[in-house]
Amino acid sequence: MIATKKENFLLKLRGSGTIIRYILGILAGGYLLWRLYRVFIVQSAFGLETWTRLLIAGLVIGSVYALIAIGYTLVYGVLFMINFAHGEVMMLGSFAGFFVLEATRAMEVNGPGGVATSFSNAYPGLAILLAFVAGMSFSALVGFYLEKIAYRPLRKAPRLIPLISAIGASFALQNAALLLFSPQTRTYQNPDILTRGQGWRLMINDSAVILPYTGVFTMVLSIILMVGLILLVKRTRLGKSMRAVAMDKDTAALMGIDVNKTISNTFIISGILAGSAGVMWGLHNGLLHYFVGFLPGIKAFTAAVLGGIGNIPGAMLGGMVLGLLEALGPAALDISFQLKDVIAFVIMIVILIFKPSGLLGEVLSEEKV
Amino acid sequence: MKPPNLFRKSAEKGLVYSLVMIFMMMIGFHVVAANLMSKVFGVTVLRGSIPEVRFMAFVHILFAFLFGWGASDRQRDKKSRIRQGLITSLTAGGIIALFSVLLNYLVEAQIDIRQYLTAFSADSMRYFILNQGQSGIFVLFAIYLFTGLLGTILAIIFQSEKAQTSRQSLKAKIGEAAQTFSDKMPTLVKKHWKYGIYAILVVVLLIMPMRWGSYYNFVASVVGVYVIAGIGLNIMVGLSGQLMLGYAAFFAMGAYSVALLNAPTPHGIMLGFWPSLLVGVVAAMIGAVLLGLPIMRLRGDYLAIVTLGFGEIIRILLKSDLLIDFTGGPRGIHAIQGPTLFGRSFTSDSDYVYLILVFIAISIFIYQRLANSRTGRAWLAIKEDPIAAQATGINLRGYKLLALIIGAAFAGLVGGIAAARNAFTGPNDHSLMVSINVLSLLIVGGMNSIPGIVLGAFALRGLPEILREVETYRQLAFGILLIVMMLVRPKGLWPGSRPVLEKVDEEVVEEISTEIKKPKRKRTHA
Repeated sequence: MIATKKENFLLKLRGSGTIIRYILGILAGGYLLWRLYRVFIVQSAFGLETWTRLLIAGLVIGSVYALIAIGYTLVYGVLFMINFAHGEVMMLGSFAGFFVLEATRAMEVNGPGGVATSFSNAYPGLAILLAFVAGMSFSALVGFYLEKIAYRPLRKAPRLIPLISAIGASFALQNAALLLFSPQTRTYQNPDILTRGQGWRLMINDSAVILPYTGVFTMVLSIILMVGLILLVKRTRLGKSMRAVAMDKDTAALMGIDVNKTISNTFIISGILAGSAGVMWGLHNGLLHYFVGFLPGIKAFTAAVLGGIGNIPGAMLGGMVLGLLEALGPAALDISFQLKDVIAFVIMIVILIFKPSGLLGEVLSEEKV
Repeated sequence: MKPPNLFRKSAEKGLVYSLVMIFMMMIGFHVVAANLMSKVFGVTVLRGSIPEVRFMAFVHILFAFLFGWGASDRQRDKKSRIRQGLITSLTAGGIIALFSVLLNYLVEAQIDIRQYLTAFSADSMRYFILNQGQSGIFVLFAIYLFTGLLGTILAIIFQSEKAQTSRQSLKAKIGEAAQTFSDKMPTLVKKHWKYGIYAILVVVLLIMPMRWGSYYNFVASVVGVYVIAGIGLNIMVGLSGQLMLGYAAFFAMGAYSVALLNAPTPHGIMLGFWPSLLVGVVAAMIGAVLLGLPIMRLRGDYLAIVTLGFGEIIRILLKSDLLIDFTGGPRGIHAIQGPTLFGRSFTSDSDYVYLILVFIAISIFIYQRLANSRTGRAWLAIKEDPIAAQATGINLRGYKLLALIIGAAFAGLVGGIAAARNAFTGPNDHSLMVSINVLSLLIVGGMNSIPGIVLGAFALRGLPEILREVETYRQLAFGILLIVMMLVRPKGLWPGSRPVLEKVDEEVVEEISTEIKKPKRKRTHA
């Protein structure tokens, strides 16, 4: 076949992508090493206490990312679609928890010793439990109906169609929250025992590093939830059916598994995790508005990809790694803290380009990538 | 299998309907709906004030009617359909009445929860129950019950076989009349009526910008900008099937090229509009190459997410302090110099509308030539099945990259024009929202069709500008519209027709098959 001029040009382009990818990779790696060398050897601007502070922040935020990332991974596992609205599910759970805490704060009860205090200070454990129950159940409800309305009718459609529907759902939920709750930023009313910014003091290099109560609470609770999830997936009938559906829907249906019900349950579980992550986010960070779900959502997706999408331990690992990189990255590279979101996006792009299977993921077939 | 329980299903439907209505009240949409209703009746309402009560009642009646219309299943017999309508209307009316009791209580106890739910002002709550207090609740219940039933009954009558046959015969009659009408037309008109419509359109578009006011010119230029952007994105998404969520990044490259080379601050280069527009287009194309080469492997949702990340990186970088000396940071760039042509500078809005119209014409021309070329067919093949396309000798990487580059060039062009028109550009002009706007105009309008893109741009950008009341609800409507379009009409309102090899006529097939059966017969036709 005689190739035309244009085709010759196009033929030359073939394969150049790989070369450019590697050149870019080597350049970026060299730059990174140079920056790290500058910061650590030449400047050594930060002491151990700063690094500890950043490490704590990274672990806390990482555990929240991990919880949200599990939701992405579970849904991707069974449906092979990115649940773009997952961040919004988390945001709505956060709002539900906010309202509960607000209500318990306003309620007057006779506390121990007959002193009138608010409900949330008299029974802080109960108030927090209520907030979590509200957040989790509301998020689960949203997730359940989201799947039923926006995704289920499109299960047989080409893959871009559910994705666009998910983008629409994300937008709709975000703006519904905006219209319902107004654009103003709200502050979580924590019970006094979990006041933000207070915690154990660690003395490092003669300066105090605070290990905040909310942070420890977040980490411990998320570890409990993750262990519970792993047990659920590995040990129960529900987990077994989820794994079966993730492997092969049609065969699972032939084996007598109700595929629709299993997928609904997957959405409910991912909603529960997202809701708890939302309440934790509120308790730890304090600020809440309608847009609060977007960035954690995207970053948790990055975390899920980083760990290998479809892989639950991978999502946990990815969340932690992403949280740490995001917290330590700007300081380690000596760049402005405004750019921490850029770090997350760059990691996402780099992982998707070089190793789309992620850290722990199996090698995905062409069909999945 | 047992048929699904009629009672439970209808009650669920009623619950959903009432929740829709309650949600509308919770976001304050009922006042806006009444406002629109008063507009329909030709009564103008002052901005910020609440329209008359009767319009709220009309809104309730309209929704109750629609709920009743949708309450029953088409397949069932009359009796159970009426029963369905009754149950649905009862549940919907009951729940709305309960909700109204709550509202009434809130109003009478003077509890202000606007701190948490903004729409719950006393006026708005009272308006929902028709400013009546307790009796209003009964009125509401009656409205939902009886109008709902009426809706069901009318739906049954309208969908009955008798009505359907009469409608079909009417349709046939109209079709016949149209056929005879077109038969009477001279062949010249029959063949070229399309060009006549185009000519009328061109004349209208040439005259209108001078006639209508600057407000409509503003709307027209916004729509026009989105039309060009839509054509560009269509080359990526519609033709070559690569879902791109970072389109605003290329937009930003064009806009910032024009802005930095044409504004007094921060550099004061003042290169002039046209060369800098060219620079913007080239910059966007180079950006597309740099983004495209590494990510060519990815497809579908991964590609979408990566491009989304790319767009956000560009926006965050533009916004950050890192580049503040170079790009003006979060405040953006002001006082961008507009274009001059033959010594005349573009000042009024209508000038820009003409400029945009010219570029729309050029874009449509380029798009049509591309889509109908070998390249366009290659793109379509890649979109349908990349593996099969590769097997037929199409260079996947090259063609996908080409689509990205050309699409990005359109984005750069339109970004530059928009920056010059607004005399301003900033990082928030290039947010994810812009990318999603362009994508959704494609999806709503229909991919691969110019009329679809124009329709989508008008529906998503033009209509909300004209209907100022609903501006607040635009984004919400966007999201819901995207879902509904995917569920109901995933191809869009006016999708392009796919190239068909050849229309096969039934008769010809039959003739050929008879010929094959009797090979001895002589051929009578070519």
